[in-house]
Amino acid sequence: MSTPDYGESPWRAAWIRFRRDPVAVGFLALFMAYFGVAVLAQLVELWDGAPFLYELNLSDMGMDVPETATAPELSHPLRWLGTTSAGKSVILRVFHGTKVAFVVGSCGAGLSVIIGLTLGLVGGWFGRTIDEIIVYIYSTVASVPYLLLMLALAFVVRQGPIAAYYRSFAFSEFVSLGLFNIVVVIGLTSWVTLCRLIRAEVKKVRELEYVHAARALGLSDTRILFKHVLPNVFHLVIINFSLTFVTAIKSEVILTFLGVGVDREPSWGQMISDARSELMQGVWWPLAASGIALFVLTLSVNYVGDALRDALDPRLK
Amino acid sequence: MIQFLTRRLLYSIPVLLGVAFISLYLFHVAGGDPVAMKLGKAPDPAEVEALRLELGLHDSFFIQYISFLRQFLSLDFGTSWADDTPVRDIFIRGLMPTLSLSLPAFVLGSMISVTVSLVVAFYRGSLIDKAVTAMAIAGISVSSLIYILLGQWVLADRWKLFPIWGYEYGPGAVFFVALPVLIWITLSVGTDVRYFRTVVLEEISRDYVRTARAKGLSEARVLFGHVLSNSAIPIITRLTIAIPFLVTGSFLLEIFFGIPGLGSTLYTAIQNSDLPVVKAFTMLGAVLYVAFNILADLLYAWFDPRIRLS
Repeated sequence: MSTPDYGESPWRAAWIRFRRDPVAVGFLALFMAYFGVAVLAQLVELWDGAPFLYELNLSDMGMDVPETATAPELSHPLRWLGTTSAGKSVILRVFHGTKVAFVVGSCGAGLSVIIGLTLGLVGGWFGRTIDEIIVYIYSTVASVPYLLLMLALAFVVRQGPIAAYYRSFAFSEFVSLGLFNIVVVIGLTSWVTLCRLIRAEVKKVRELEYVHAARALGLSDTRILFKHVLPNVFHLVIINFSLTFVTAIKSEVILTFLGVGVDREPSWGQMISDARSELMQGVWWPLAASGIALFVLTLSVNYVGDALRDALDPRLK
Repeated sequence: MIQFLTRRLLYSIPVLLGVAFISLYLFHVAGGDPVAMKLGKAPDPAEVEALRLELGLHDSFFIQYISFLRQFLSLDFGTSWADDTPVRDIFIRGLMPTLSLSLPAFVLGSMISVTVSLVVAFYRGSLIDKAVTAMAIAGISVSSLIYILLGQWVLADRWKLFPIWGYEYGPGAVFFVALPVLIWITLSVGTDVRYFRTVVLEEISRDYVRTARAKGLSEARVLFGHVLSNSAIPIITRLTIAIPFLVTGSFLLEIFFGIPGLGSTLYTAIQNSDLPVVKAFTMLGAVLYVAFNILADLLYAWFDPRIRLS
């Protein structure tokens, strides 16, 4: 008996379409490189332990560098991007910032996807009262002024019971409270768009013939939902994840600037906020380093996101 | 139509109740102690007690919620806890600076975005199209703080083209809002051009466009006669939905440039746990958001008779 011919998988077809754009592939590689830096930064810190390298002055590390801001120079890798006004290596801080950006981006977007996808699937599939409740929840959340929701939540997470909950977790050693704070704030404020999209799409998909067929075969609701409906709306999840990833790392910068974001470890947001006073003294390199790092990562995710949207769009086949 | 409006208006009641609940609840958990702020660091315990009683902080959450709703219905938002100014005056004071920044930015920005996206759609696939698309995606990838910092540092501090900080009521405001307006436009044009371009291109791929071309109409006639009027619908909807955000303002730009508008007012109020101001602001924002969303739906149906409001 020969194996049945399933035809080409839609994911493979999408990948082939994606690969046609060399710029998109380039940006994807760039994104992977960032990811590598983030993982490396985390590994070095785990292996190195406290006090972390990025907190040391270069003079403490036995180098002949003044404890003030020095411009970038090529004499030593740690000085390639210059030093901060406290004599710390900018390049190490940018590397650690990359790790922070990835935690914020992937965990924040991940949390937002979990909330949005679950509520969207449940509302769209079951309909009736539960759907109405979900529509009510997201209409209400969307009507709260965004700044208020974001800032108030940032304060709540920081001071309220969620902070106590955080401390009881095993990962609290690796992820600072400020970082955890941003992840929760972003997750709780940015799920509405995905929820709306998924709900509308599931409502459409559940009336399609193949779902009726699956029902007629006697498959359970959970099985149809996860094996037949979810794969058909999953492209929305991927695209939305890339968008929220960008929103998250951009929000980190703003929240950190406003004093409710990352603290006790360097992040791009912190370097950009410090730049406000540094610039007036002519110290531009920490801003340039963190700003460009942020820009290139955002650009690659934006571009890859666009290319993914085109590749996954069934109408373009 | 009337039925649709009635139902949407009725539905907005529970939504607004929910918004009131969320804002009060978040503040209940998050807010700092307003008493400490009002009375200084070492207050008299008796005074503290009296003030807490006066502000209603001893009441249960439910009682506070009810009195919030009562205030909201009578449109009396009380006085600020920070300096006893009536909240209404705070709003009237902040509205002008905010609008003097957001209105020109919105009007100019929308005009630029719509024009650019039409031109780009007309020359789709050409070098101009590719350049603009690339610039748009690069432009939206820069953090808004970078635009602000660089604008302040280069244009204001180094080249002295604009004042760095401050505001003046009356016609002198033009001078102070010029740079923030420029930054606002830079921030919004990238996103808008990408959206409008997609809208126009989607319209171009429809059957009626092929028919119009088959009739022998010129490409310009097709684009400006047929495509523009059809893509106007989503564009107008998007612009309508953006209007409430013009009133709430851009808090980042207002903070950075020292513009005493509603955005920076809200920011200070949140920091100071100034509950009356925060409550009033939240409800104002929510009412505007809901109202303009209904308006956008109505406009949508009005422009496009195929859509039935139900």
